[in-house]
Amino acid sequence: MTVSGIAVASRRSLRRREARVGLLFVLPVLLFFLAFRFGPALAGGVLAFTDYTIGAETSWTGLDNLRRMVDDPLFWRALRTTLVYSVLAVPLSILAALGMALLVRRSFRGVRLFRSIFFLPVVTSLVLAGIVFTWIFSQGGPWSSLLGAVGLPDRSWLSDTALVVPALVIVAVWTRFGFGMLILLARLQDIPRELEEAALTDGAGAWHRFRYIVLPELRPALFFLAVIETTVSFQVFDTVYVMTGGGPAQSSYMLVFQLYDQAFRYFDFGYASAIGLALFVMTLVVALIQRLTLGRDR
Amino acid sequence: MTALSTPAALDADTGAGGGSPRRRPYRALQPSRAGTAVRAVLLFLAAVVTLFPFYAMVVLSLKPAGAIVMPDSLLPWPISTEAYERVLSAESVLRWTFNTAVYSVVSVVAVLFLASLAGYAFARKRFPGKEVMFWSFIAMIMVPYHVTLIPSFIVISEAGGVNTYWGLILPTLANAQAVFLMRQFIKSLPDELFEAAMLDGCSEWRMYVSMVLPLIKPIMATLGVFVFLWHWNDFLWPLIVGQSTDMRTLTTGLASLNAENAPLNVVLAGSVVAFVPIFMAYLVGQRYFTEGVTMTGVKG
Repeated sequence: MTVSGIAVASRRSLRRREARVGLLFVLPVLLFFLAFRFGPALAGGVLAFTDYTIGAETSWTGLDNLRRMVDDPLFWRALRTTLVYSVLAVPLSILAALGMALLVRRSFRGVRLFRSIFFLPVVTSLVLAGIVFTWIFSQGGPWSSLLGAVGLPDRSWLSDTALVVPALVIVAVWTRFGFGMLILLARLQDIPRELEEAALTDGAGAWHRFRYIVLPELRPALFFLAVIETTVSFQVFDTVYVMTGGGPAQSSYMLVFQLYDQAFRYFDFGYASAIGLALFVMTLVVALIQRLTLGRDR
Repeated sequence: MTALSTPAALDADTGAGGGSPRRRPYRALQPSRAGTAVRAVLLFLAAVVTLFPFYAMVVLSLKPAGAIVMPDSLLPWPISTEAYERVLSAESVLRWTFNTAVYSVVSVVAVLFLASLAGYAFARKRFPGKEVMFWSFIAMIMVPYHVTLIPSFIVISEAGGVNTYWGLILPTLANAQAVFLMRQFIKSLPDELFEAAMLDGCSEWRMYVSMVLPLIKPIMATLGVFVFLWHWNDFLWPLIVGQSTDMRTLTTGLASLNAENAPLNVVLAGSVVAFVPIFMAYLVGQRYFTEGVTMTGVKG
């Protein structure tokens, strides 16, 4: 064998060794993914077309679950409530995030303390938030006292069918705005100061500087936030479970709560999977809309 | 979705882009005196609203049972440690704290180990099927948790994992974001480091242990804090897998106390117990929290 032949052979064996090591290092994660992500993602789709329940024969039911979903007034109600909740929670938490980001944008004494305070709810468990806010919204609690003090009816929002969703929205804004604030803050700090200084010299007021310099720079981050927040809102569960249990009179009964209810109270895994499928499609549509809108911008 | 680079914005000192970040702010962009006053008032109000639930949680947990009546209950006195005595002597709460710690700590260690191995391979090795595998991992970030929830539960339940630690932990180890962030980080390290070690004839395992692991400490810290936070606060998965009283975590345990109409001061004392570790960690390593949460985009 020639010298170059040996070199080629050893390079090939090195390649093979590299491939073996690479596969070996990926293998553990791959197994977990097959068992708990890829497999279940497929199964989640398949289950929706069966009547699976634990400890009983499973059979194909075709489109029965989907048909049942379409005829199920509770599903439509859960879907509508989820959408109403999201339509309120997403813009409000983004607005709050934007306002706070602008407030803590420039350096001043104590700015870091304020930023830390505003981020604190993001690291807090939603269950804890739910427990405390249940008291805050209770009859005679701080919220109703506050409303009573300004002459509004001082009822408990959590036991009012019309006000329970707004109450959950307030909790959502409280738990989420710090996250958006941080995302926007990072973008704000990338805006060249010279741009705004130049605009100032040209006599542009604060609103004009915001509208024509700051806002365009923030657009991608705002879109990003809108998608994340919409996904988070569609999947709201913890606060509903802790604060309302879907009530009163199912007025805060939302999709993931129905999924949980069907699967783990009625053990109807097939129907629950169909609801999961609906959620998946909703998330996909939001991501698609984002893609298209962002694509148009570029 | 992770393309957005978000440095630790909390630590940045000024809003200056370009140039030295420590440069003195240009006077003209500083708000007028009236503007400063308005901003101060708004900030103060926002801070009060943000902190009020925490204040209420702590103050009410220090009230004797039955003394929670508005508006007196918002005053910090009288103080009673009755609720804490009940919570800390209740075997269940201690057990839930222990369960939460096991769930969080074991998952952090395992996720970091698995993700760093895979991230290293994806960043530095050539092997068949690499691209397909990597992108199918990433695609899973898009699939909502709730779609895979039921089949994962069925797998765990058929395998006898309900009410066990492994049943709680194993499914959470398939963490696509962790693999992705590890791969990105290792890819960004200089090639020369790896080439030198190759020439030295380092064994692959030694290379991983003595070279890759020390290099990825920064991303380990960020990712570790994120995974820890996610598990510590996780609710739905522990709710369905840890069904017995003994296998609850703090979140599901407190939710059950709350649902059973336990006295509010006791539930809130338990909430404080659940919150203190996160709060302490936040005080010490705030940078890692903000980085972890913003890099990964979503809170668990």
